[in-house]
Amino acid sequence: MQTVRKRPRSNHLDLAQRILEAVRRGGFRSGDRLPEQQIATLCSVSRTPVRAALQLLADQGVVHREKTSGFTLAVDPSGATGAVSELPPAEESRLAESILRDRAARRLDDTVTASALSRRYQTDKRTVLKSLKILEAENWIEKAPGQSWLFQAAQDGPEAAAESYDFRLMLEPAALTAPGFKADEAQATALRLGMEALLASPESGFDVREFQRLDMAFHAMIAQGAANRFVGQSLEDHLRLRRLPGMLHGVNVFRLKQSTREHLAILDQIEAGQFEAAADLMRLHLRLSRSQRPQAASRGAPVLPATAQAIRGRR
Amino acid sequence: MARAAPTIALFPEASFGAALNCVGIAQMLRDRGARPVFICHPGFTGLFADYGFAEHHLPAAGGSKADTWQDFVRRHLPHFNLSPAEQLDTYVAPTWQAIVDTAIDAEEGLGDLLARLKPDAVVLDNVIMFPALANSGIPWVRVVSCAETELPDPDVPPYLSGLAADDPSRASFEAHYLQAVAPAHQRFNRFRTECGLPSLPAGEFLEPSPWLNLLLTPAIVKRERANPLDPEKFVYLEGCVRSEGPFDPPEFPSGEGPLVYLGFGSLGASDVDLIERMLSVFATFPARFVVNVGGFREAYRAVPDNVYLDGWFPQPSVVAQCDLFIHHGGNNSFCEALHFGVPSLIMPYCWDGHDNAQRAVEAGVGLRLDRSSWKPGQLVSTMKSLLDDDAMRQRLRANAARMAQTPGTARAADCVLALLSR
Repeated sequence: MQTVRKRPRSNHLDLAQRILEAVRRGGFRSGDRLPEQQIATLCSVSRTPVRAALQLLADQGVVHREKTSGFTLAVDPSGATGAVSELPPAEESRLAESILRDRAARRLDDTVTASALSRRYQTDKRTVLKSLKILEAENWIEKAPGQSWLFQAAQDGPEAAAESYDFRLMLEPAALTAPGFKADEAQATALRLGMEALLASPESGFDVREFQRLDMAFHAMIAQGAANRFVGQSLEDHLRLRRLPGMLHGVNVFRLKQSTREHLAILDQIEAGQFEAAADLMRLHLRLSRSQRPQAASRGAPVLPATAQAIRGRR
Repeated sequence: MARAAPTIALFPEASFGAALNCVGIAQMLRDRGARPVFICHPGFTGLFADYGFAEHHLPAAGGSKADTWQDFVRRHLPHFNLSPAEQLDTYVAPTWQAIVDTAIDAEEGLGDLLARLKPDAVVLDNVIMFPALANSGIPWVRVVSCAETELPDPDVPPYLSGLAADDPSRASFEAHYLQAVAPAHQRFNRFRTECGLPSLPAGEFLEPSPWLNLLLTPAIVKRERANPLDPEKFVYLEGCVRSEGPFDPPEFPSGEGPLVYLGFGSLGASDVDLIERMLSVFATFPARFVVNVGGFREAYRAVPDNVYLDGWFPQPSVVAQCDLFIHHGGNNSFCEALHFGVPSLIMPYCWDGHDNAQRAVEAGVGLRLDRSSWKPGQLVSTMKSLLDDDAMRQRLRANAARMAQTPGTARAADCVLALLSR
């Protein structure tokens, strides 16, 4: 598969900081493997600069490099700031994360300006613009005419979430069945181990963030393995939208465990080269994951189905 | 040959309160080796499956549900600002008519479903009898998941009144109630007669089960009755709180201090104007607020920095972590607050929310605020007094520890399974 990438960042120092931010957001822990392809996807860059940036982090003692298994995280990423004091401050990365968080929480409107963000976050406009560039590179936002920036449609409503599942139902099976699909074997193995460990954990101690990390990585691996570059790229761009905070609220542990077992069954078929069967299981997985919980139900009132238009913006 | 696991059919009404209450019982039945299955409204597709339970749907009634729901909200939203007595004609009577419709619509499909499923027992969490169930001969359990006012008694306030037991207006409310619900009641009794069931006394739509009746009411708010309930057939559960997924409190851009959860139920969430007015007060209050806005998340803009909105939360897991729970007096919400030892600020809008608000004040486990006439200063002072009331908090925590010793879900499951061995 050829990789179609936008605006790869050439500054390895900056990328190293972004990798740290990404692994922190992704819930990685000390000792976790850092597959280059997965890190590249998380940071929306190709593998080449990732390798250089990981080497830089290895020089700082933040990651280990093993000859056979690649890079592993050597420290707790939330406490890694001190360990990488020689890296440039990631103020713009932190601000980008705050902007995303506040957008997901409906504190920010569809369109924003750098001036307004500068006032809101009490920071200089230059840092704000750098943050917006980071978000632009990750396809969260785009420059609109004039001084405005426009957020991409988010999956923050039942209708948007349903449309997202429809989109994935079209493309994820297609990614698996287009001739030439190839999953990253090392990543598949790491995912399997992670999922099996998650399934072995008791329900009371189930780590939802770890589920989310594995789920994101599993579906990203499908997109990256697609032989059809346009299917793969469209999926990767779309799947990134699921990273917004709060995307997993309302899903109970029973379903998350069931979903993990479905991931493993799909992996079995991929590893056996049975891509049609993997695609069938993927369809089933996505249909079951698509929540049909009603939006409203009360005594004596009709039920409001999951994807019906509620009364919105009526004032 | 080993005996097959008993099949227990849980049949909740089409509301989240009853549905999730039954999920809690079903989780415990499953833990004890039984096979819980759900009989439900088709609009609940997937809800029970997501907790790992088989679903069997009743046939849907005709019509566009989405439009009907919108009509329902538009028609009734203004009624939620009325007094309990004023709601009798505007909200309670039409709601009883709708409930009677559900029983009539379900009759044929339910009979077929029960014949096919052949459950060992049925757990009915509803406010109305389904003749197909009564005539099936299958042992059935009534779950009283509303406030205990649902079971009338001279020493218990009238159902849906929000009154104290000795309120002087009691008699007039009771007379008004019977007059308002009479058309629905008469229609239901005619239907029962057609189905071969005896008529029920005025104002009653569901008889006690001859096998077993389960009341959610925790001891701390339980009322003394003039005519005590037979303890062999009426079991108090001390709440009935399901096991939910974990809740990770969100990161707030600003705001520290206590965590306050606001949840008015999925119907209560339709009052966007009320919640927006509350958000503007929350923005000035030194606390972090988690707010359940149901299907209306997209109606909100410029959400304050100390507020986090979502359309659904694993509510028991949120309540477990919060310092104050603002709710509508729905019985599940009230029981969850008591289960986790959290004070309640109740702003009721209908049904037994009024009764629970009254009882919360009487029992010293919360306060009531009128949902339409409150002023910002009142909301602030009420939240502050509940957050600062150490005596109430200690009392609630001690009670929560007592409730934890006998979880209602486990007691319900044990009672249902014991019924099978009689």
